[in-house]
Amino acid sequence: MFDRDTEGVRIELRSLTKRYPGQTAPAVDNVSMDIPAGELVVFVGPSGCGKTTTMKMINRLVEPTSGEIRIGGRDVLSLNPDELRRHIGYAIQQVGLFPHLTVAQNIGLVPKLLGWSQEKIAARVEELLTLVHLEPGAFTDRYPRQLSGGQQQRVGVARALAADPPVMLMDEPFGATDPITREHLQNEFVRLQKQLRKTIIFVTHDFEEAIKLGDRIAVLREGSHIAQYDTPAAILSDPADDYVAGFIGQDATLKRLALLQVADVPVTEPLPDPVLPQVAPDASLREALDLMLAHGTDRCSTPSGVLTYATLCEAVGNRPDGTRPEEAVAGDR
Amino acid sequence: MTADTIAARRARPLRRLPFGTRVLFTPVAIAVVLVALYAWVSTLELDSIEQRSLNRAVIVAKTIEHLEMTLAATALVVVIAIPLGVAASRATNRLIAPVILTVGNLGQAVPCIGLLVLCTFLMGVGFQTALVGLVAYAVLPVLRNTMVGVQQVDPALIEAARGMGMTRGQILRRVELKLAVPAILAGLRTALVLTVGVATLGAFVAAGGFGELIINGLKLNRMPVTIVGGVLTACIAFFIDWLGGLAEDLLKPRGM
Repeated sequence: MFDRDTEGVRIELRSLTKRYPGQTAPAVDNVSMDIPAGELVVFVGPSGCGKTTTMKMINRLVEPTSGEIRIGGRDVLSLNPDELRRHIGYAIQQVGLFPHLTVAQNIGLVPKLLGWSQEKIAARVEELLTLVHLEPGAFTDRYPRQLSGGQQQRVGVARALAADPPVMLMDEPFGATDPITREHLQNEFVRLQKQLRKTIIFVTHDFEEAIKLGDRIAVLREGSHIAQYDTPAAILSDPADDYVAGFIGQDATLKRLALLQVADVPVTEPLPDPVLPQVAPDASLREALDLMLAHGTDRCSTPSGVLTYATLCEAVGNRPDGTRPEEAVAGDR
Repeated sequence: MTADTIAARRARPLRRLPFGTRVLFTPVAIAVVLVALYAWVSTLELDSIEQRSLNRAVIVAKTIEHLEMTLAATALVVVIAIPLGVAASRATNRLIAPVILTVGNLGQAVPCIGLLVLCTFLMGVGFQTALVGLVAYAVLPVLRNTMVGVQQVDPALIEAARGMGMTRGQILRRVELKLAVPAILAGLRTALVLTVGVATLGAFVAAGGFGELIINGLKLNRMPVTIVGGVLTACIAFFIDWLGGLAEDLLKPRGM
């Protein structure tokens, strides 16, 4: 439907407005934004700010009052809504697996609506279960109520991916899981997205989650007005206003450190030092700092050399003596 | 992934077989009652009036008439009440829903015997007239259960279904009605049992059935005839309820 299916396509919103009858203020007020192909954009904002409404207009679960939506250059409002939705992945917080259908039938539902053959659907189901780390042999014939919450979320994601849509809409898909499962699912999802490069719109009110998952973050305020739309690193280092700063919280610098990996910054000495605490190259700088604090030192050793506190300060654009260098190296992912 | 393996081990079997010893209780009890009834009637010296009612040919004929009335009425109820229940459950029909429910309530609130008498003026006596009364009486449980069954489907499921690109019709057929099956079957079971009882009134409009035995026994002051009619009606009601229970177990969607 969107020319090259499977890989992400660009989404454009133009003066998108939704006004519910009987309400004076529009729920979504004149929003324009570009979502680049293959990127994961997180809509983050307080409850009732219109982020979910904005997302639902893209697959027309909510019909816009005015404005324009283009996916891969095609005008969404001119398409048949049901047909459109079959080509957009959709995952919600409550998962919404059908209790009377098996895992395989749940995942195969959209392919079936699209008229795929039985064999193709079966192969696809197996592929997707493997992708979300569920053993196909054990899970295809189970019913949703036989799954744990985390497993249901994974099946939900697999179902959203079933027809290999170029665009996915996700409404707090990990919101209802416990913190440990959520962290696990988020890590898997980051890995998955690196592999698939879909265009994803991800709605959450959890800023930590937004930093962790987003290529870009749109911080929204009342009426879905965009307060700031940028990469996580740019938002953390340079919040547009007090509203955005308030959303980030007090530990913006620590959050920025968490975005950078040990392997991303230069080491001071070319050889590892076995006496110092050891840190893995794929650990975040935040973990490296934690290690230094825990051992009461300002140095720790990586496999390729020694990492110092001064390097950490430089990584977030400061000198250890408190002055700012001319060009700040903001962590860009 | 220990949590996953624990959940895997906990996976319960989804359908218990409906053929345990508990399920056999009702048919065995019915058989015992019927045998006892037969034994008791055998000990009686039946006069010619009683003999005319209590013989194999009459009992078989009345059973068939009674079952015919019950099944025909229930079939009509299915055809009428399920679509009406679905219609009443739609948000777009918010204005019509109370009207539909009121009509259903009226059918049950108006005394069936009165309705049968009124129908006799319009349609004469016979099978069809009895059907009208029975259908009016049995529509409500199926109508209300269909409505409630469809409405209680988790809105998140409907949203997921819409988000996946299912049309309204597909959502109704593949999600809402499937998930409403247990409720609809429960309503149908209630309707069947009600109909077996009310079908005795069919005798007043010459539609036959066990009602004839009961009324004849009362009119002619022959207690055994009335008792046989009453006990047989009750046995059929219990038996149909038992069948309904089996059907609920077998037909409800797996996984629920």
